[in-house]
Amino acid sequence: MLVLDGLEKTYGEVRALDGCAFAVERGRMLGFLGPNGAGKTTTMRAIFGLVRLDAGSVTWDGRPVTDAERLRFGYMPEARGLYPKMKARDQLVYLGMLHGLTRSDARRAADRWLETLGVGERAEDPVEELSHGNQQRVQLAASLVHDPELLVLDEPFSGLDPLGVETMAEVLRAQADAGTAVVFSSHQLDLVEDLCEDVAIIDRGRIVLAGNVRELKDASRYRRLELELEDGGEFLRRLTGVVAHEVDGDRHRLLVDKDTDVRELLAAASSTARIREFAYTTPSLNDLFREAVTR
Amino acid sequence: MTSLQTMRLVAGREFRERGRSRAYLVSSAVTLLIILAMIVVPAVLRSQGRTFTVGILGSGNEPILAAAEALTAADEFPTTLRRVAFEARDEAVAALEAGEVDAVLVDGRELVVATAGGFGGSDLERLLQQAAGTRRIQDLLAGDEAAADVVEILTSDALEVVPLRGERGREVGQRGVIAYGGLVLMYIAILSYGTWMLTGVTEEKSNRVVEVLLATTKPWQLLAGKMIGIGLLGILQFVGTVVAAVVALRVTELFDLPAIPVDLLVAMVAWFLLGYAVYSAAYGAAGSLVSRAEDAQTAAFPMTLVAIAGFFASFRALDDPSSTTAVVLSFVPPVAPFVVPVRVAFGAIPAWEHALAAGVTVVFLALLVRLAGRVYSGALLHQGGRISFRDAFRSAEV
Repeated sequence: MLVLDGLEKTYGEVRALDGCAFAVERGRMLGFLGPNGAGKTTTMRAIFGLVRLDAGSVTWDGRPVTDAERLRFGYMPEARGLYPKMKARDQLVYLGMLHGLTRSDARRAADRWLETLGVGERAEDPVEELSHGNQQRVQLAASLVHDPELLVLDEPFSGLDPLGVETMAEVLRAQADAGTAVVFSSHQLDLVEDLCEDVAIIDRGRIVLAGNVRELKDASRYRRLELELEDGGEFLRRLTGVVAHEVDGDRHRLLVDKDTDVRELLAAASSTARIREFAYTTPSLNDLFREAVTR
Repeated sequence: MTSLQTMRLVAGREFRERGRSRAYLVSSAVTLLIILAMIVVPAVLRSQGRTFTVGILGSGNEPILAAAEALTAADEFPTTLRRVAFEARDEAVAALEAGEVDAVLVDGRELVVATAGGFGGSDLERLLQQAAGTRRIQDLLAGDEAAADVVEILTSDALEVVPLRGERGREVGQRGVIAYGGLVLMYIAILSYGTWMLTGVTEEKSNRVVEVLLATTKPWQLLAGKMIGIGLLGILQFVGTVVAAVVALRVTELFDLPAIPVDLLVAMVAWFLLGYAVYSAAYGAAGSLVSRAEDAQTAAFPMTLVAIAGFFASFRALDDPSSTTAVVLSFVPPVAPFVVPVRVAFGAIPAWEHALAAGVTVVFLALLVRLAGRVYSGALLHQGGRISFRDAFRSAEV
């Protein structure tokens, strides 16, 4: 398990990390969310010792992370980069060996990952001759080639087409299922909601919300209510505990207090209008995010 | 993974990828061709001998021309003097202007040439001057027994010079050739391979591969591995070129290649390595400050300036290897790799001074590598634009 505790970092006047703390467990996937400039990249770099922290600790299985541990971590930085003139396969072999694999193991792993990610035929081509999407695949392979115990990816989904997103999601899911601890940052909240067991939301260098997605939703003070009414809807205005109310023609989207009595609401609705659709759910991750990151 | 293993991997990648690149192969081939052309072309031209056409006006010219032929008779390749006689000065001048003759000899006392200087004419001019001088001494001392002594005095030094250090005479000439050749080669090599280092580092930063690398390697390992990899390639190219040049010189016999004493060879190689290490570390740090290849040369300008200054300063050492300037410069680390080998070549540096100069440079190198490593690590993750040396030093994270 990766545990970040009390991370602090100041760049000049800017407080980039202000007590940031969360944990990533083996076999689980954690979505690391936050507005731009909240400290996501700095946190991820801190895991790899690329940032000298002012305070706080990064531990793996209870021990401080050292160079030896980092060899078993995989990293895909936000600023993607490979050697453009180097062959895809050679590149992966080199990175695998830098992580301590023998040459033959690195070759086997490189071939396996290029095959898995559908770029096996391009293994002998220089990376610069590959399409953007295929370069991204090689980049992903570069973070996986040594079968890391912890996988850290900074915005892995940005710039991918829908097929690329699907491949990336499948690979990450498979890694987590195989026991790897996976953490990635993203702005695509619905994707994180579908994919991750856990989330951590960072704002101004502090974690403002962290935990199991399901539990966080259940624990929310709010519920999401969606109605499509044939006519009327006046009664909704009398409803207490409404936090937000959007109207789109006959469609009403509300965020209501958790304690709002749904049966009463249904009764009121059915007496004044015809209900075509009714949904009462826990809030979306998007709702949780907005609530946590209020500006 | 030990540091050594990591550096070996980094150096190995650099060696393989750069060694296979078209840029390396083409630059090696071009360097080789230029060197061979510089040796083979003059050798071929010389083997065909030389022919000068001399215009003759008036009398008293033939003894000089005959003396000139006698002077060159012992040469391996013949010099032929063709004579064209003229009746009037106007005709001779017109022929000279038209390039039909190389020079016009008038009454054995005047030589008319087309232009004041120039490489083509000066050989002929020098030959005829020498011939005329010899003629005149022979005329002056005709029948005198002292004639041989006079010629001896005119062609040798009157005082015997006894140096406390180093040797003189033919030996000096040969050592001078080695020192000068070594100096020029060293300067070219250090600047070219330093530039590879510079652009290599900038490339890694601009194509952003560096963050992936830094997640598993330390900046100094990356820097050192790169220095070693590029250094090996450089040495390979350098040695290949020098060997080709030596072989070509032996085959063509363009000039007698002095035998290089082993101690001098060792000193030159050692100082080349020191010089390369100093400049490649500095160039590597400079390369890390910028994100675009276009800005790399600008960032490296101060280092290039120091190298140029060192190169010219070492000419002072060529003139007088024991001068105060030469002694002082031996202890200025970025300049020492240029100056010390020159002094070694002339045998003009005492062993203790040589050892001390090497020690100073090694200490400087150790400090420089640490400084460069720190700047490198502070600057590498800074994207976009140029980061100042001071900011890079301060923001070193790893």
